[in-house]
Amino acid sequence: MPTVKGDGMRGLAVFISDIRNCKSKEAEIKRINKELANIRSKFKGDKTLDGYQKKKYVCKLLFIFLLGHDIDFGHMEAVNLLSSNKYTEKQIGYLFISVLIGANNDLMKLVIQAIRNDLASRNPVHITLALQCVANIGSREMAEGLSVDIPKLLVSGDTIDSVKQSAALTLLRLLRSSPDIIPMGEWTSRIIHLLNDQHMGVVTAAASLIENLVKKNPEEYKGCVSLAVSRLSRIVTSSYTDLQDYTYYFVPAPWLSVKLLRLLQNYPPPEDPAVKTRLTECLETILNKAQEPPKSKKVQHSNAKNAVLFEAINLIIHMDSDPNLLVRACNQLGQFLQHRETNLRYLALESMCLLATSEFSHEAVKKHQETVITALKTERDVSVRQRAVDLLYAMCDRTNAEEIVGEMLEYLESADYSIREEMVLKVAILAEKYAVDYTWYVDVILNLIRIAGDYVSEEVWYRVIQIVINRDDVQGYAAKTVFEALQAPACHENMVKVGGYIMGEFGNLIAGDPRSSPLVQFQLLHSKYHLCSPATRGLLLSTYIKFINLFPEIKHTIQDVLKSDNNMRNSDVELQQRSIEYLQLSSIATADVLATVLEEMPPFPERESSILAKLKKKKPNSVPDGSEQKDQMPKLPTAQMSNSSDSAQPTSINLMSQGSPAASGAASASVDLLGLGTPTQTTAPPVGGGDGFLVDMFDTLTTSSPAPATNGMDLGGLTGGAEEAFKKFICKNNGVLFENDLLQIGVKSEYREDLGRVWVFYGNKTSFQLNAFCVDISTPGDLATSLSVQQKPVGGEVEAGAQVKQQFNMACVQEFTDAPILNIQFMYSGAQQKINLKLPVVLSKYITPAEMDSGNFFGRWKALSNPSQESQQIFKASAPIDIETTKSKLLGFNVSVLDNIDPNPENFVSAGVLHTRNQQVGILVRLEPNKQAQMYRLTVRASRDRVAKILCDLLQSQL
Amino acid sequence: MIGGLFIYNHKGEVLISRVYRDDIGRNAVDAFRVNVIHARQQVRSPVTNIARTSFFHIKRSNIWLAAVTKQNVNAAMVFEFLHKMTDVMAAYFGKVTEENIKNNFVLIYEILDEILDFGYPQNTDTGILKTFITQQGVKSQTKEETSQITSQVTGQIGWRREGIKYRRNELFLDVLESVNLLMSPQGQVLSAHVAGRIVMKSYLSGMPECKFGINDKVLMESKGGKSGQDEGRGGASSTKTSIAIDDCQFHQCVKLSKFETEHSISFIPPDGEFELMRYRTTKDISLPFRIIPLVREVGRQKMEVKIVVKSNFKPSLLAQKVEVRIPTPLNTSGVQVICMKGKAKYKASENAIVWKIKRMGGMKECQLSAEIELLNTNDKRKWTRPPISMNFEVPFAPSGFKVRYLKVFEPKLNYSDHDVIKWVRYIGRSGLYETRC
Repeated sequence: MPTVKGDGMRGLAVFISDIRNCKSKEAEIKRINKELANIRSKFKGDKTLDGYQKKKYVCKLLFIFLLGHDIDFGHMEAVNLLSSNKYTEKQIGYLFISVLIGANNDLMKLVIQAIRNDLASRNPVHITLALQCVANIGSREMAEGLSVDIPKLLVSGDTIDSVKQSAALTLLRLLRSSPDIIPMGEWTSRIIHLLNDQHMGVVTAAASLIENLVKKNPEEYKGCVSLAVSRLSRIVTSSYTDLQDYTYYFVPAPWLSVKLLRLLQNYPPPEDPAVKTRLTECLETILNKAQEPPKSKKVQHSNAKNAVLFEAINLIIHMDSDPNLLVRACNQLGQFLQHRETNLRYLALESMCLLATSEFSHEAVKKHQETVITALKTERDVSVRQRAVDLLYAMCDRTNAEEIVGEMLEYLESADYSIREEMVLKVAILAEKYAVDYTWYVDVILNLIRIAGDYVSEEVWYRVIQIVINRDDVQGYAAKTVFEALQAPACHENMVKVGGYIMGEFGNLIAGDPRSSPLVQFQLLHSKYHLCSPATRGLLLSTYIKFINLFPEIKHTIQDVLKSDNNMRNSDVELQQRSIEYLQLSSIATADVLATVLEEMPPFPERESSILAKLKKKKPNSVPDGSEQKDQMPKLPTAQMSNSSDSAQPTSINLMSQGSPAASGAASASVDLLGLGTPTQTTAPPVGGGDGFLVDMFDTLTTSSPAPATNGMDLGGLTGGAEEAFKKFICKNNGVLFENDLLQIGVKSEYREDLGRVWVFYGNKTSFQLNAFCVDISTPGDLATSLSVQQKPVGGEVEAGAQVKQQFNMACVQEFTDAPILNIQFMYSGAQQKINLKLPVVLSKYITPAEMDSGNFFGRWKALSNPSQESQQIFKASAPIDIETTKSKLLGFNVSVLDNIDPNPENFVSAGVLHTRNQQVGILVRLEPNKQAQMYRLTVRASRDRVAKILCDLLQSQL
Repeated sequence: MIGGLFIYNHKGEVLISRVYRDDIGRNAVDAFRVNVIHARQQVRSPVTNIARTSFFHIKRSNIWLAAVTKQNVNAAMVFEFLHKMTDVMAAYFGKVTEENIKNNFVLIYEILDEILDFGYPQNTDTGILKTFITQQGVKSQTKEETSQITSQVTGQIGWRREGIKYRRNELFLDVLESVNLLMSPQGQVLSAHVAGRIVMKSYLSGMPECKFGINDKVLMESKGGKSGQDEGRGGASSTKTSIAIDDCQFHQCVKLSKFETEHSISFIPPDGEFELMRYRTTKDISLPFRIIPLVREVGRQKMEVKIVVKSNFKPSLLAQKVEVRIPTPLNTSGVQVICMKGKAKYKASENAIVWKIKRMGGMKECQLSAEIELLNTNDKRKWTRPPISMNFEVPFAPSGFKVRYLKVFEPKLNYSDHDVIKWVRYIGRSGLYETRC
């Protein structure tokens, strides 16, 4: 028989021991059935049960329930127990209710009433029991019923500390389950002051509560910052003997410290200098403490210490304002990189990833490159290796790109399968983003395909083709490289695709070498043909027809291949059709027609890199978003390779759209090769038709009225009418810059961080040749030092109705105000013509938009409060104020338009990063329209002097 | 092919573990325990697949028997074998309990070695096994006997050895039937069938050939109007001459070829007790009892139950061990029962009123009435009213099955059919005998 001490319930003990002694499940069920029948008859009986009996039976029911049986009675008895004054009876009652009564039970009203009575009681034990029950159930009904009682308890002067602690946590629980219900207004300041409470337990509980409240309503709880900082500094500076009960393995109040540090991460760095200094001191002390020798060898000691340290580093990263702290944090993490503990290494790599994105600590992070690379190679834990890859990606910039990409490529060969695809994408992006030399880029991607062909997604090889096609300088090299790569006995299908495409386009560039003569090229490609999937074969067939155009001497060999049953009667309809059509095309069409149809691919329009989009989709977290300036993704020579899934499609679209009209010689097709989804800004250069038909490539945009004909000799001044057009280009990149009777000048430009490329198209509108056509570019004033300009020469004559293209590379060295001037001179019917135009290259072109949330925005906004960093203008709107128009203007200005930041929804808030060669400048814009007065107030803040002013003027001219 | 055989007690401790094939690893023992015996939810399927290994188990009181295999075996064969195994164990040491298994574990391993060879079931006939798996008190055989065992086990008639002699040639036939019934409250039969077995105990000298005649429709018709009714005590269905057997199966000693061609059951019986035949019928079953329930719910607090049991067989016969089990709602808080005959009691542990009547003659009627008090609960579900079930034992075969004759021929020895003393007994028991209320 079980022995029962003191107040215990003998019947319960007997019952439990009976159950434990049951030999089988059946016996147990029998015993329970018997007990249930007994309890039912007791509860049914007319004579009233005393508290003890009720408690005993309720307890038995609870036990039976916990054994896994359904209990459908006894609830009323349990609720009755709540009104008892005995602790044990109340306790069992609450226990039964927390476990067994669901939120929707009919008895809930009674329960809440009982709880309210207990909360009002003078006995702290009763209050605590009631609070516990509330926290356990936390239903909406409870939140509604008790939303006043609990906060009252929390801030009342008479409540004892332990009750306050429970009340804070209970309130937090209710807040989580029904956030809208608690009216906190009047309690705010008193709750904040709980952070000053004597009792550390209360502070800890309150810190959790306040953090939750702050997340909902940061403004209202702003006052907690200074309190939290002072509390934190008191903890940090105290020695471990001061806080007796709250010292954990020699670390003073680690949990509270972590909570306070987290709380502070909800706010920007404090504005009050005193508070700020104090916080900086705290963080410094924490960093200092990390350097001290450990006070204990126990793992708990180091865990607690490191927890505080990592949270402090997170806060430092969040504030992102003190370079000294950031560098120190970085060094501290550097030490952890070599720590024995795997978790520490993981955390260090993860935090470093964030640090790498801060402009202050980026350099400091780079110091650890070697260590990170070693970690990548030697680390045993795959998740840590993954972090190392992330960090390498984050720390990469122009200076170390080559090395990092090299290391990643090397590691890729032995990398885990789970992270290969991601690594491939990252390598591809880094190679593209930081490629100085595009031959290097081509090498890297081809290597990538060779090493990890299976993991190279479509986007990656689309990209390489786009870049090769858009850049004349690498085409020959690319053709040579793929030719060499294809000579390997076994190469990946992606390699064959890239090879087929590039050789089809640029095979002629290497055909001079006898080792890569046309026939050799063809045979090399055809040797891979049979091993490929139908899609690749289709692509190769297109390559073959292009070969026929490029190398008429091997026409018959290729025709034989097209004729073979293998192709003509292939079961795959696509292949069959291609071979038949190509065969017909090659045998019927004349060389001229062929040449027209199979013209070299025009450059691709530039859009956001599809690879990047893919990486973002794949791992939303791993690519830091725009809020981090550094990681602003490049908006660069990019073209999205249509949304086609068929890898061979680019070729086939090209052929289809140009194929049929080509016979008539009309070359009017303005084909957006890829932009199936983007109707505007189509840019298909004219396909040399040569029948006097001038292609107005910018027809969708041409709005400027023909400028008055200027045979002007006005040497110094600008040609009239161009100023107007210039203005338009501030918010757009492509369009017609100038037009008169003789000449139409179109501009197409693209910018990627601090690099810009501008193509100028000169179209001869006359029916005569323009002679001695020469273009020069001048950079007035200090523009010469601020903007580095490279110019490609343009030929002496422009044929009647033809168009020539000239490319300029414009790199932004530092901020500038003026635009470069284009001087065009040519002879028309014996007369010297001169046109001077401002080339629309303005500072705003080098901005990339940035996304950030409200806290982040205002944090930065306030950080840029120096008068020289701000420029404000109030002016009358040039056109009626329209939200959408203004928005699109802002977007054209390359800054983001951020929603839900400004309290006034009318106002526009934007952010961006200006890239110059020397530095990156954060730009914040606030535009407040006033519809009644048709006025704007425009405020621009930038982290570099002058920039704000320049941009403010530019933007004003647009509004 | 069975890969291994394990026996566990109710706690899941391994009592016997015998592995026959290498594809069964050591962890199989634990896998079954973890996934079946200690499973959170009761495992109801007798076959469990764990990691590409199949476990077939049966439970005898608190003992689990599990056969394990990785191959695609005939599941019916495995279960047949497991049941045989328990029969063999019961024949050797009585009830299969943890205690007995622990006391006889050497013997069990010996038996397991003999009845399964590389996972293939061998001779599981108890009588034969007893000739060479001996226990205390049984002497080991002489040389001649040992050689005799070999020839007999490997010979044509593996179930009977030669040279058996009895002074009195006797045989006992038991016809054991169990009746299964589900009846609607209005007395309509929803489903009913009888599963029967014929158990024979033979004490006959030499190698006798027996011929067995029953009143199966097919056998009777093929024989024509040959010889009228045999002896045998008449049941309620004495007027019927033949019954329709749905399916049947025989002991291995029955010559199936003769059954196919001549529709006669002839065999050389093993010595001692064995099950000659199993059969099943579904038509023209005479139900020994009928229950007329009357359940009335008086408000939410009270329920009245009235049960009438009617016996429906010859008044001269006497049913025994009659027990009626009336389920009560789960929120019963008190029961008052009144009955004229027998004893009735509310058993809380089983949530039922159990009414026991020791003896009950044919064509009689008994009544019970009960008042059940209910407790209000939060549970809104209505009581599902499980069926009232019944147990009994009656001295006739409810299917109408009759033994027409059993003839014994032993040409080599000097006794004839008439010298053999034959005993026939009919017992009808309840299987799942339920009436909805």
